[in-house]
Amino acid sequence: MTVTNIPATPGAAAPRDGARPPGGKSAAGGRPSGERARAARGRLANAFGVVLVIALLAGIWEGYKALGQALGDRIPLIGLGFPVSTDDLSMPHLSSIIGALGEPASSGDSVSLGMYLVGETTVTLREALYGLTAGALLGLALAVLFLHVAPVSRGLMPWLVASQTVPLVAIAPMIVIWAGKADAPAWIAVAAIAAYLAFFPVTINTLRGLKSPPATQLEFMRSVGAGRRQTLLWLRLPAALPFLFAGLRLAATASVVGAIVGELSAGTGRGIGRSILTFAYYYSNGPEKLYAAVLIAALTGIVFVQALAVAERLALRNRPTR
Amino acid sequence: MGEPAIISVRDVHKVFNGHTDRAVTALQDINLDIGPGEFVSLLGPSGCGKSTLLRVLADLTSPSQGEVTVNGKTPRAARADRDYGMVFQQAGLFDWRSVQRNVELPLQVAGAPKDQRRAKALEMLELVRLGEFAKHFPWQLSGGMQQRVAIARALSADPSILFMDEPLGALDEMNRERLQGELLRIWTDVRTTVVFVTHSISEAVFLSSRVVVMSARPGRIAASIDVDLPYPRVAETRTTPEFFAKVKEVRQVLHAAESEQAPA
Amino acid sequence: MSAATAPAPAATGRGARLLALLPARYRKQALPVAVTALLLLGSWQLAVAVFDIPSFVLPTPTTIVTAFFDDVGTIMAAFHVTVTAVLLGLLLGAVAGVAVSLLLSRFASVSAPVLSAAVLLNCAPIVALAPIFNNWFGVTNVMSKAGVAAVMVFFPVLVNTTRGLLQVTPLHLEIMESLAARPRQVAFGVRFPNALPYVFNALKLGSTLAVIGVIVSEYFGGPAQALGVYIASQAALPRFDYAWAGIFVSGALGLLMFGAVTLLERLLMPWHASLHEESD
Repeated sequence: MTVTNIPATPGAAAPRDGARPPGGKSAAGGRPSGERARAARGRLANAFGVVLVIALLAGIWEGYKALGQALGDRIPLIGLGFPVSTDDLSMPHLSSIIGALGEPASSGDSVSLGMYLVGETTVTLREALYGLTAGALLGLALAVLFLHVAPVSRGLMPWLVASQTVPLVAIAPMIVIWAGKADAPAWIAVAAIAAYLAFFPVTINTLRGLKSPPATQLEFMRSVGAGRRQTLLWLRLPAALPFLFAGLRLAATASVVGAIVGELSAGTGRGIGRSILTFAYYYSNGPEKLYAAVLIAALTGIVFVQALAVAERLALRNRPTR
Repeated sequence: MGEPAIISVRDVHKVFNGHTDRAVTALQDINLDIGPGEFVSLLGPSGCGKSTLLRVLADLTSPSQGEVTVNGKTPRAARADRDYGMVFQQAGLFDWRSVQRNVELPLQVAGAPKDQRRAKALEMLELVRLGEFAKHFPWQLSGGMQQRVAIARALSADPSILFMDEPLGALDEMNRERLQGELLRIWTDVRTTVVFVTHSISEAVFLSSRVVVMSARPGRIAASIDVDLPYPRVAETRTTPEFFAKVKEVRQVLHAAESEQAPA
Repeated sequence: MSAATAPAPAATGRGARLLALLPARYRKQALPVAVTALLLLGSWQLAVAVFDIPSFVLPTPTTIVTAFFDDVGTIMAAFHVTVTAVLLGLLLGAVAGVAVSLLLSRFASVSAPVLSAAVLLNCAPIVALAPIFNNWFGVTNVMSKAGVAAVMVFFPVLVNTTRGLLQVTPLHLEIMESLAARPRQVAFGVRFPNALPYVFNALKLGSTLAVIGVIVSEYFGGPAQALGVYIASQAALPRFDYAWAGIFVSGALGLLMFGAVTLLERLLMPWHASLHEESD
């Protein structure tokens, strides 16, 4: 951190108490103390923009549907059919999708579809969370191992990278059968698949983070006679934290995908993945139910990652904004 | 130098890529003694090996040949005993630690108990006049202030030697001169031996009790010049005829060494 | 290949240049990688034999290879169906992503919320769209599988390309400005070359995502001859050696796609640093 590279971190906020250091120009470049407030306003504006974009997408959905209905799903003059037909079976109105959430899950059931889906979602989220935790711990351990044992890293790393170009989900049926033969409950198989998908982004990002401290900081640790363990604990790991979180965000998405795929392969009978499969089976009876389930699945993934983002902001609150 | 040397360098050579056809001799025939309490600058053009020499003293790299003792031990033992503190060109503070916890770090590595670390860190921050910034984070400080924190950090384990590798190189001229004054004041307070690498002639003359001039390709010691300007040196010292004369003398030695090296 | 340790020779002929595409890093690192592979396969084979592991837990590599050759016709037919969907999905996703991104880069002010929305939507499990696409395009239609792959590819391509187009070194823009360059010239001289590495990074990610997307969609139902269906049905039969043969072929597919994109990158961007970084 020198004067010369401060412009590289333009987002750096002013001292929190607003007191500008006397003498010497402030690293914060004399920014007003309302910097944080401005950053918060920026985030709010961005969130508003995101809502607008999603509203726009909803508008496109309904607009396309209305256009198709008016034109009979054919492009005038050319006579070419629309790629997706716009009848209520293929594209239910957004209002009926949302409305379906409030209706009973199945006829004669007292539970609404929304409540039912939320219940299934918590099952999936629990599996994903177990998987993410196991995957993150494994990923972290692998990163530390790769950092310290170069031969292992050289021999294993290319295979690890290759294993990611391999569609890991292809192994899902095998994992389920393994777990079944081992008399393990089905959720363990699902969590294992989630963990399998989750560990890699954690390993790669953490390893990059562990290697991120500049030479000066590493040499400083050496100059004070710090050992490997102390350097790892006090320099490399804290420096890797932002990278770890970036990896965790990717891993969180992957773990939800893994949990859903696992539910498809496993006979758990619970979880949002199972619900999607069931509603897909009874599609013609109520297409909006499938859409509602997909919507909830999407929200689940988004909320999961956003919760992690909040944890990240909390953990990194004292760091300069990068 | 009547006193025994605190740092002694005997016939040191340093060759990079020694086993390949791209071998580069960074240091050749280095002999140097530094007494306790001296402020010695290693001065020379880039590529003269002045930083390499400092890194040999600090055991951040080892000599290909020759012998070095620091505080009467090998550099490795001196490093393990935290006999020296080091300041680099980049402050290299840890973003995630408060200023105070940054200064505590060498003591933490040494295993000092928490309250002792805390007290010592605050004392060092007072020394560099940043006591009120203990709870700040590094990115909230200017470059010059960060470098002062780095000095406090280097001194926190009470080393008898301070190694400084172009510590003011990244600062602008105003900050640089202000920090030179600060550094002399701190040095007067703690009385450690200082080895200071720089490529600025006036900086070397203003700070040092002795300037060791090095020449490049291969890195060698060209001359050792005592600077007999009296301490305390202040801003006005820079405008005295004695100061100018000394700067001129060092410059001539430096240029003579350089033209000697330059091939036709 | 004989000069295993010497730095890559200055490429003169076409052949030499093609050879230089194989970076020295690979040649130098081939040994530990090969040793690890042999160790893994060997200990796998040995472990199954020594501990008498039943084949439903883990068939040996040799039985998997035998199964592959036994059923090679079916497997390769399934491979063909799946690879068609993967390629179509990758192409559609990439084209759509780049197109939207070009549009976005013209309106830099709205790009931030759109990118944020894209990042947000990308956190959703996109594979859940599979049953919807099955109903839109028909279960056996290749579009129902390619569609999921396309959506999975679309988001990273969109986000990366837009960043590449917008995050140009200000100095380069100022140079073009000082030359009074027209917007078209700025686009072709600065923005597109700058975006290319970003696009390829997204495509590398996308190439593996497309395979995952197609195989998972196949789990939701589809033509009987497809790799995902083959793996699931063989595992259920249970004929595990055949299922594993399918898994390995799908792995090869993923590697193939990744390799193809990497090769394309090297051919299109000979100036890129990754070609030169292994000089020592």
